[in-house]
Amino acid sequence: MSTDNGRGTATAPPVQGAGPHPSPSSAGRRPTAFAAGLAVLLLVLVALAVTAPRFATVDNVRAILASTAFVGITAIGATLVMIAGSVVSLATAQTATVVAMLFLATQHLGLGTATLVAVAAGVAVTALQGAVVGYWNANPIVLTIAAGFAIGGGATWFSGGTPVYPRTSAFEVLNSTPLGLPLSVYVLLVTAAVAQWVLSRTTAGRQLYLIGENRPAATAAGLPVGRVTVLAWAFFGACVAMTGIFLASFNTSATVTLGGTLTLDAIAAVLVGGTAIAGGHGSALRTLGGALLISAISDVLLLRGFSTGVQILAKGVLVLAVVITVHVRTTRSRR
Amino acid sequence: MFGIGSLRHALLTGALGLALLTTACADNTGSSSSPDGDSSSLQGKTIALVGYGSTNPWGAYFNKVFTERLEPTGVEITDMTTMDPGTQVQKFNQAIAQRPDLVVVSILDTQAMAVPIKKARTAGIPVLAVDGPPDPSVADDVMAVLSDNEKLGEFAAQNIIEGLEAQGRDSGKVIVLTGTKSMLVTQHRMKGFDRVMATAPQYQVVEERDANWDPKLSGDIAQQLLAKYGRDGVQAAYGMADYMALPIVQAAKQAGFPVGGKNGLVVTSSNCFKAGIDAIKAGELYGTATEDPGTIAEQSADYVQRFLGGENPPRTETVKEERVTAANVDQFAEQCSHA
Repeated sequence: MSTDNGRGTATAPPVQGAGPHPSPSSAGRRPTAFAAGLAVLLLVLVALAVTAPRFATVDNVRAILASTAFVGITAIGATLVMIAGSVVSLATAQTATVVAMLFLATQHLGLGTATLVAVAAGVAVTALQGAVVGYWNANPIVLTIAAGFAIGGGATWFSGGTPVYPRTSAFEVLNSTPLGLPLSVYVLLVTAAVAQWVLSRTTAGRQLYLIGENRPAATAAGLPVGRVTVLAWAFFGACVAMTGIFLASFNTSATVTLGGTLTLDAIAAVLVGGTAIAGGHGSALRTLGGALLISAISDVLLLRGFSTGVQILAKGVLVLAVVITVHVRTTRSRR
Repeated sequence: MFGIGSLRHALLTGALGLALLTTACADNTGSSSSPDGDSSSLQGKTIALVGYGSTNPWGAYFNKVFTERLEPTGVEITDMTTMDPGTQVQKFNQAIAQRPDLVVVSILDTQAMAVPIKKARTAGIPVLAVDGPPDPSVADDVMAVLSDNEKLGEFAAQNIIEGLEAQGRDSGKVIVLTGTKSMLVTQHRMKGFDRVMATAPQYQVVEERDANWDPKLSGDIAQQLLAKYGRDGVQAAYGMADYMALPIVQAAKQAGFPVGGKNGLVVTSSNCFKAGIDAIKAGELYGTATEDPGTIAEQSADYVQRFLGGENPPRTETVKEERVTAANVDQFAEQCSHA
């Protein structure tokens, strides 16, 4: 089976029921609809950008990168979950919020310990959901809706609805800007690189694509579906935890609503990156591109004076266009 | 050994059991009845509290103070709080069906709540709006204990003007990150803000953006606006709540802008939280204003006692708001530190 994922060809036992998929290079000599649409979009964006005041400045590039970081880190993790065929998690914002609260509440233990506690909590909560999906084939949408309510309810119960404040300000170091860029941007880049390496260079990464492409066939072929799915969700949990930690540091306190629209923003970035929502296709680097593209479009619209509502509308239209394009492409490739 | 099917059933049963146990053991803070309280004058009276949900820190503290303040009177409060505008309409309609002696509502969507308020009037159920005003079309149908949002906006403008003048600036550009613009609360704050800013035309508002009461969105917009105008292009910023102003501070610091002091960005807010008080003390936030949930909860509870006790309180009462800066921050630190 060949997998179209932008990471080279995976070697794996032949799996019955998984049809051949053309790689990007073999999909045809002519440009795909996705590539053509992306090219048009980029042309429009470039035209809008070059005519927008102060778009091409170092400060603005830094702002785009900074506003990409929080969503981008989560989206990278969500990419692995989506590639594995687990669709999406709808408990992302709630998990990030709980992690943020834990991180701030444990600041008195020291920054290192607080970070470890927060990451461990994010990984545990998310990997548990992954286990239910991976081993018992639970519907991830239903499961994560339930998990989101449970986690959000727990957070409200724990905090009484009031903000969680840190006793010390050791976390301030996470707001630092080495070489002029926020630390979260470096974490985003490292996370993307690690995720891409896992997807393209490790057995578990290749198995993720195979499982996402055809889970029953992967199971029949003896692939460790449960274990690999849990690993993907655990990585996602670590990414959500990092986002929660940076969100907490940036806002210096954590309320139940801190996660805001993180869930849908992360899903949007993954989808705009071209990852198939049904699984089996996608890459971390493309998700990074998707997150950057959304931030850049929001930035251009803001620079040109469009309202927040128009920015949200543009994001919705963009996601819809990409999802339709990817769906059409995937459908054609399976014929 | 259990099979997968048995395990699933066990898990399901366990989850249901846990849910039932949680329900049974939960402390029902939503309704209170204290016949042993120091006043039984409201014994047998019922209130439907269709307020802000406890997922919102402001709402959580309001609900706590309001409930605790009325508990000794013996009044029964049904908790129907939410932060979802659609759910609020449903709960308000349910409240009407239960025919309480009073519905207390903190309106999330003024237009959507107009029809339910009319229904309450038709049903003869009195409604008390707290914090934000109702839609003007039903303003005469409700009693109200309101935050003075225009005053809060005025305070924010005063903070900006005072801060820029203290830096010796003859001119300055200001960015504004508002709460949800469709809310009357936001519109009233901007009305007061614009009125005072108009008295200092040397300071110009160059951007007014809807940040939807969202701290993360506030940070994103601030980063982009600060990049758009550059270090010399913006001298002051107004985030409508402390949790919106502090992301502006962080965005400025990450972009290399000095904040506060003799030549840094002057940042103000207009309703206080503990984090804002700490930031004022640290010199990063020039000022804020009260609109703290405890004060309005106390006044609302007092209004309810008077109304249900048979008095005839004024149809509308406005909570006195206070401006908070470094000069008087200690005076308001406790009042502002509950949310």
